[in-house]
Amino acid sequence: MLQVRNASVFFSARDGRVVHALDRASLDIDANSIVVALGASGCGKSTLLNAIAGFLPLSEGSITLDGQPVANPGADRGVVFQKDTLLPWSSVADNVALGLRFAGVPARERRERAEELLGLVGLEGFADAFPHELSGGMRQRVGIARALATDPKILLMDEPFGALDSLTREQMQELLIDVWARTGKRIFFITHSIEEALFLGTTVVVMSPRPGRIVARFDLDFVRRFAAERDVRAILSAPEFADLYDEIRSLVHRPHAEADSRRAVLQ
Amino acid sequence: MTDLARAGSRASDPADRPKIVRLHPFGLDGARTGPISFATALLLLAAWFLATHYRLVPPLFLPTPQEVATQFLAVVEDGYAGATLWEHVSASLFRIFSAAVIAASLGIPLGLAMGLNRWAKGVFDTPIEFYWPLPPLAYLPLMIIWLGIGEVSKIVLLTLAMFAPVCLSAQAGVRALPIERVNAALSLGASRWQLFRTIVLPSALPEILTGLRIGIGVGWSTLVAAELIAATRGIGFMIMSASHFLATDVVFVGIGIIAAFAFAFSYGMRLLEAWLVPWKGKS
Ligand SMILES: Nc1ncnc2c1ncn2[C@@H]1O[C@H](COP(=O)(O)OP(=O)(O)O)[C@@H](O)[C@H]1O
Ligand SMILES: [Mg+2]
Repeated sequence: MLQVRNASVFFSARDGRVVHALDRASLDIDANSIVVALGASGCGKSTLLNAIAGFLPLSEGSITLDGQPVANPGADRGVVFQKDTLLPWSSVADNVALGLRFAGVPARERRERAEELLGLVGLEGFADAFPHELSGGMRQRVGIARALATDPKILLMDEPFGALDSLTREQMQELLIDVWARTGKRIFFITHSIEEALFLGTTVVVMSPRPGRIVARFDLDFVRRFAAERDVRAILSAPEFADLYDEIRSLVHRPHAEADSRRAVLQ
Repeated sequence: MTDLARAGSRASDPADRPKIVRLHPFGLDGARTGPISFATALLLLAAWFLATHYRLVPPLFLPTPQEVATQFLAVVEDGYAGATLWEHVSASLFRIFSAAVIAASLGIPLGLAMGLNRWAKGVFDTPIEFYWPLPPLAYLPLMIIWLGIGEVSKIVLLTLAMFAPVCLSAQAGVRALPIERVNAALSLGASRWQLFRTIVLPSALPEILTGLRIGIGVGWSTLVAAELIAATRGIGFMIMSASHFLATDVVFVGIGIIAAFAFAFSYGMRLLEAWLVPWKGKS
């Protein structure tokens, strides 16, 4: 289990002011769950993910993965970035197998594993292509395969489909659900799309900016339903979906009202 | 609606070859310049020929192309100023090659270290920033006083001249490394050395090659200048002694040889770039 406890982050802005990017966020990510963090831009989603990935130390609070404190980046937490970070000089297979190479896995085994993973993300036959020969969606698939290669305990995804067109985006969401259903990986997923959050999350946490904090939490089962029935339309047209959509939408659009009311309660 | 759409689409007759278009490029974008350069070279040669043929310039200042060609063959056969042409050329090539190897093997690691390490940057920044704007010929006398008139002083001079661009470009290569690429590698479990080997070095390679190219250019100009002043072999020396006898045709031969080698080097570097960093500029 991944546990985030009272995580706070303060940055210093360029003009010397202190930016309170994350305020006492707490979060549990259990086995077999997809936790989606949803919020407007600037509410601290990336900050939270960077801290979990180990790229950023916390100002206060703690993060543990299966009881071990998280301090540095490591192969137990696979990261998929919004901007693709594939190596332009390496073939797709070599990119996928990068983490295995770091782990000292022999070349032949790396290749086999890479092809297996490329199959999992629907890119059979692209092992010897180069990243610049692929479309944005295909590159993100390679990014997902690469993050899965080291068999991490958790997959961290920072708006991975944010730069894709809506059709590709839907395909990628379904692909991710397939991967999740097949591998049982726990996933922490960031988005600013309410629909994406509802569709993908077993848990959705809504965040609000200045200071970045978690203002609401919803446990959902749309994604399990999709994994079982594979019927997108049934889910999108379900009345619960629409109700939740409206509820979250009003939360995201009036975060301050919500935050203010909570502050009032705290005082 | 449907009619409009149909009217807009053209008949797909296979014999009817479509007109292939592409986006208007900006800048050169790989346009072929070879034929233009070749024509320019021919034009310059023709101008040279005409200027000498009609005696627009006194022959002492500008020899005819034929004279230069004859002189070239004579130098190839008999040598010049006490050494064969090959001895002159190999003396120059040896100096520039050994200096390039030393400058690269010191400048690339040091530049990378300066891009990565506070101490390396702190220690070496001041001396490099201090010496590299100086023209090498300004400290050539010092080199000669300290190291004598032999090969060592010239190779050290050339090494110093080439070192700075190589070192600075390696630093720039590290600085241009996107942090996401580093973070991606770290979250895949890269050790510090693996990070350096598989991410930092290849990412900095295009900049390093550019630095090497600039370095070799600087090396050529410094080499010839140094040989003009202090040498008994070398293309620069050959030019210098020819000028003492007002042998303009030999001066031209020397210049032509330098130009040919500099061009060959430049071309070689371009091949090296195409081989080592074919991905340059792609994503
Ligand atoms: N390195 C940094 N230095 C200073 N401020 C930062 C830094 N990174 C993020 N911030 C600020 O912290 C807040 C949260 O940023 P971020 O986590 O990137 O938001 P999100 O990913 O939700 O859009 C923003 O106000 C942003 O300006
Ligand atoms: Mg972000």
